[in-house]
Amino acid sequence: MTEDTTTVVAESTMVLTGISKNYDGVAALSDVSLDIRPGEVHALLGENGAGKSTLMGVASGTTAPDNGTITVRGQLIERLTPGDATRLGIAIVHQHPAVLPDMTVAENIRVAVPAEFLGKADEQAVTMRAMLDDVGSSAHLDDRVGALSVAQRHLLELAKALVVSPSLLILDEPTAPLGPESVDLLFERVRRAASHGTAVVYITHRLAEVRELAQRVTVLRDGKLRGSAAVDSITDDELLALIVGRQLESTFPPKHAVEEADHQLLSVSHLDGHGFSDVSFSAHRGEIIGVSGIVGNGQSALLRALAGLEPFSGSVSIGTAEHSSKDLRRYSAYLPADRHAEGLMMTLSVRENAAISALKKFKSGLFLNRRKETDGVGRELSSLAVKTASQETVVSALSGGNQQKVVLARALLSEPAILVADEPTQGVDVGARAEIYRILREVSSNGVPIVVASSDAKELEGLCDRVLVMSRGSVVDTFEGDDVSEERLIHSAVRATGHTKQQASSTSAASSTRVGRFLQGDYAPVLILALVMLALGAYVLAHNSRYLSAFNITSVMTSCAALGFIALGQTVALLIGGIDLSVGPLAGFLVVIGSFFLNADKAFTAMLLGLVLMASAAAGVGAINGSLIRYAKFTPVASTLAAYIALQGLSFLLRDSPGGTISADVTGLIKTKIGPVPVSFILLVVVAFAMEYALRYTPWGLKIRAVGSNEESSRRVGVRVDRTVILAYVVCSLFVFLGSIVLLSQLGIGDPTQGVGYTLSSITAVVLGGTSLLGGRGTFIGTLLGAGLIVQVLNATVFLNLSQSWQYFFQGALIVAAAVIYSQVRGARTVV
Amino acid sequence: MTMTADTAVAAAPRGRRPVSRGLVTVLVALVGLFAAGFLVAPSSVSSGAIQSMLPFASVLAIVALGQTLVVMQGGIDLSVPGSVSLVIVIITHEAYGDDSKVLPAALAALVVALLVGVVNGFLIGRLGLNAIVATLGTNALLYAAVLAVSGGTPRQTTDLLANIAGGTSFGIPNAVYFAVAATALTTLLVKRTVAGRRFEAVGSNGRAAWATGLKVQRHRAGGYVAAQSLYWLGGLLLAGILNKPTAYQGDAYLLASVAAVVLGGTSLLGGRGNLVATALAALFLTQLDQFVLALGVNFAVKTLVQAAAFAIGVALYTIDWGALRKKLSGGRTPVPATP
Repeated sequence: MTEDTTTVVAESTMVLTGISKNYDGVAALSDVSLDIRPGEVHALLGENGAGKSTLMGVASGTTAPDNGTITVRGQLIERLTPGDATRLGIAIVHQHPAVLPDMTVAENIRVAVPAEFLGKADEQAVTMRAMLDDVGSSAHLDDRVGALSVAQRHLLELAKALVVSPSLLILDEPTAPLGPESVDLLFERVRRAASHGTAVVYITHRLAEVRELAQRVTVLRDGKLRGSAAVDSITDDELLALIVGRQLESTFPPKHAVEEADHQLLSVSHLDGHGFSDVSFSAHRGEIIGVSGIVGNGQSALLRALAGLEPFSGSVSIGTAEHSSKDLRRYSAYLPADRHAEGLMMTLSVRENAAISALKKFKSGLFLNRRKETDGVGRELSSLAVKTASQETVVSALSGGNQQKVVLARALLSEPAILVADEPTQGVDVGARAEIYRILREVSSNGVPIVVASSDAKELEGLCDRVLVMSRGSVVDTFEGDDVSEERLIHSAVRATGHTKQQASSTSAASSTRVGRFLQGDYAPVLILALVMLALGAYVLAHNSRYLSAFNITSVMTSCAALGFIALGQTVALLIGGIDLSVGPLAGFLVVIGSFFLNADKAFTAMLLGLVLMASAAAGVGAINGSLIRYAKFTPVASTLAAYIALQGLSFLLRDSPGGTISADVTGLIKTKIGPVPVSFILLVVVAFAMEYALRYTPWGLKIRAVGSNEESSRRVGVRVDRTVILAYVVCSLFVFLGSIVLLSQLGIGDPTQGVGYTLSSITAVVLGGTSLLGGRGTFIGTLLGAGLIVQVLNATVFLNLSQSWQYFFQGALIVAAAVIYSQVRGARTVV
Repeated sequence: MTMTADTAVAAAPRGRRPVSRGLVTVLVALVGLFAAGFLVAPSSVSSGAIQSMLPFASVLAIVALGQTLVVMQGGIDLSVPGSVSLVIVIITHEAYGDDSKVLPAALAALVVALLVGVVNGFLIGRLGLNAIVATLGTNALLYAAVLAVSGGTPRQTTDLLANIAGGTSFGIPNAVYFAVAATALTTLLVKRTVAGRRFEAVGSNGRAAWATGLKVQRHRAGGYVAAQSLYWLGGLLLAGILNKPTAYQGDAYLLASVAAVVLGGTSLLGGRGNLVATALAALFLTQLDQFVLALGVNFAVKTLVQAAAFAIGVALYTIDWGALRKKLSGGRTPVPATP
């Protein structure tokens, strides 16, 4: 940071003035101003939904404000983009780290941090190790980030932000997943950065952290500025008064009056699960249980366990019956916080969504009875006052509140044993909220136990008879009856000082061993394939000594070169998370083009023109594939299938029968050998290694894998996704061009029917090589060996006098076996 | 959960079940195609041409129905060629020249088909393999079986099968009856049974289906098994329609079946299946071939027309035409807020 030596008073690092932001007419921020000064830790406080993250989105360029100005070091910024923000030295540590799970720790750093901060190539590892040590991360540089604990990912995110020595550092609730030592270290690092003149904005819910770290505090509520003060000059109670006291928006139904006759309905004891531990509570008939706390402290995890979606230990009894996790999934009704991902089938109608859990009620004989169904669903919809044009309306066309009521209608139609609702009124308008409260109360009084988690303490105060407050996975307080008040709940949550069970910070390091990293790594398939190839080679040689004849070596290697180049291209498409079905017909099409130019009677310039045309046609096809996928929203299968059919047509358009003999000089040149080894094969190996290097160490390779690994995170770390994807398909097609040159020398003539088979064999080669079809992971070396193995197997069947049937059998068995083995070794990602 | 009557507002109208966009698109395309046939290529709509086209359209419709079930689960079935070919060679080789062996051979083929479905379903539904890879593998294994059974040589079909699958009743090719019945039955199972509706829900959003307590893996796998039984029926008919089917007869049905699914408006991302529209799209694609051939153009143009039909079919559903029109007419589109 170069300081202007003439200024005496430190200039503000950033000034936000009169910032407003609306989402769908709802004000997220109105007229908020903030002055962020160098060397100062500025705490930003407020309830969930108060607008803190939106404000920091504005400050870091990811959110464009509707009104207001941004001034950075005295300079007015017209329009701040994430790129500008990085150049201005603004670094943000997101609440949900923008990391790429398929890439290693080192690669995550290299793709996000500009090279100048990492030093020369040979120093990078040292720099990166120092970065991680600096924040107390024990992650190994070669660990895959997907295998790291949440805490380690946060530390990685923090390390990436600190290394650029930002002039403004924004931390969005950084301590939530961290254990105590990590928190201490984090505070120490934040203080050090501030002492070097960095301005720090620290978003938190915890008053204790504000006291410990910050010099200035600003409170937001409902998108408005509530107050700003020096930390020393304001008491905890004054701060709390600023945070709470939101306007009461909805009316609540009367609470349950406990009667002697009420028996205990729900009993949860010593429940342990991923993200929460030792939770016990019980509920009488008619009581609604609330779960409160700062978001991400185990509330959602607890609810998911109660809904049977995550495993747990401990016991859950409803009435007299104890329920296993499996029972709960079947008999509970779950209202997820993320309705779109987990609640609704967005492409289906309101009726279909509501009826899905109660279909058996609507049967007459074997079949569903339409009348019963529409009547039953209709009754439920009208009792919930769902506003929809008709039962047949697609559910995505409804407002948030009505969508939530459809989920609720489904829950009620299924007559659940327990109702579990995570943030039931999130994204729901005020009117519908009151109705949802009323419905929940009615359901509860009918004898269904209800557990509600909400980040809105006011809502829990109004709705619940008993509220558990959770902090870092444990219940820290339980309030009942009149003690349930917004103020108490928030007090309890923000004053909790407990720490996440130590599992958070120590899991990954211990399990990361050299062998483990290799097996989890991309190169394990390479070793497996090499061994299989050697074994197969030895077996065939034992049966037929001509196997290693020069002639056979040449022919195998030539076939391998054609398939190999095409498969390298396919690898690029798969790495980016796509697939290219058009490679086979494209190879054939390019040969047909070549057959018009590379003939014996043509001049050298005409031949050159032919090659240029072939390459341009290939690039064009790649660009069309990529553009259809990115801009016309075709799936990769659809776009490249269209190209597949069209390219076959084009081949036949140019030549309806084989013709155009390729000049012997040309084929001779392509078939040049060194000993028995064709030059084309040597070239293939060299190119594969070069691509491997590029994939690991160049920005291009990192970007390709970043996009394949996680498109959204890539965008956040500054990768231009559309451009990267389209370029990937162009590169894929250019590899097909290289393959087609080898193919051309093998065929010796333009034949419109050739090439098609390369689509499937190239995919087989890539899968054998261990590249994931989900994108982000793979190797070119693996593909090279995969292509080699396919060609070797086909060749071996000839030497072993096996029929063509065996060729198919081996190909099929190889690909299925490889896919099964790799998916099991890596621990298949969740099927659902 | 009962409510007092007066709190209930007017019931949400039942509403007519909307006709799917896929069905409308395909119907319009079909009418247009036949109209164009009458205008510029009358030979493509002659009774003889229609009679010879319909059996093939029927087979494609049946196979495409199977592909639809797989696509509804967000998958794709590349094992169509191997499956159809295997049924054909089992029938033509096991029951070669002997009508009495047709039924046992057909049943044997059905058992094999169901087995293949179970394998596909296990690999994809249970082990979570990518559908492209798994079915690519099983397709190669199926072709290994095809060659093991047939040695690659075609054989004449039996008279019985030729009469059943290739014959006509009441002036309509028998295959059409099979196709109509298969479409009706599949539609009934998917739209009118508990299992079918759950199947559609799982395809539309697996995570939500899991959260509501459905057996997601079993439904996914079920799609592949049901698809195989439809391929079996398609293969059986084709074995009778053709005088001497080759061992690679199924090859033509992979791309065509996917094209029919896409034109019928079933999203490759999974979800709601338009089964009737798929069957009609199969009719459209087969008649399109006839039409283009009647125009006297060559194979190349025919293929290009198919590619165009496919691409337009996809674009109709993926591109937001309303927004595009607004953009092109110069109207400013409001930037969507991203909360």
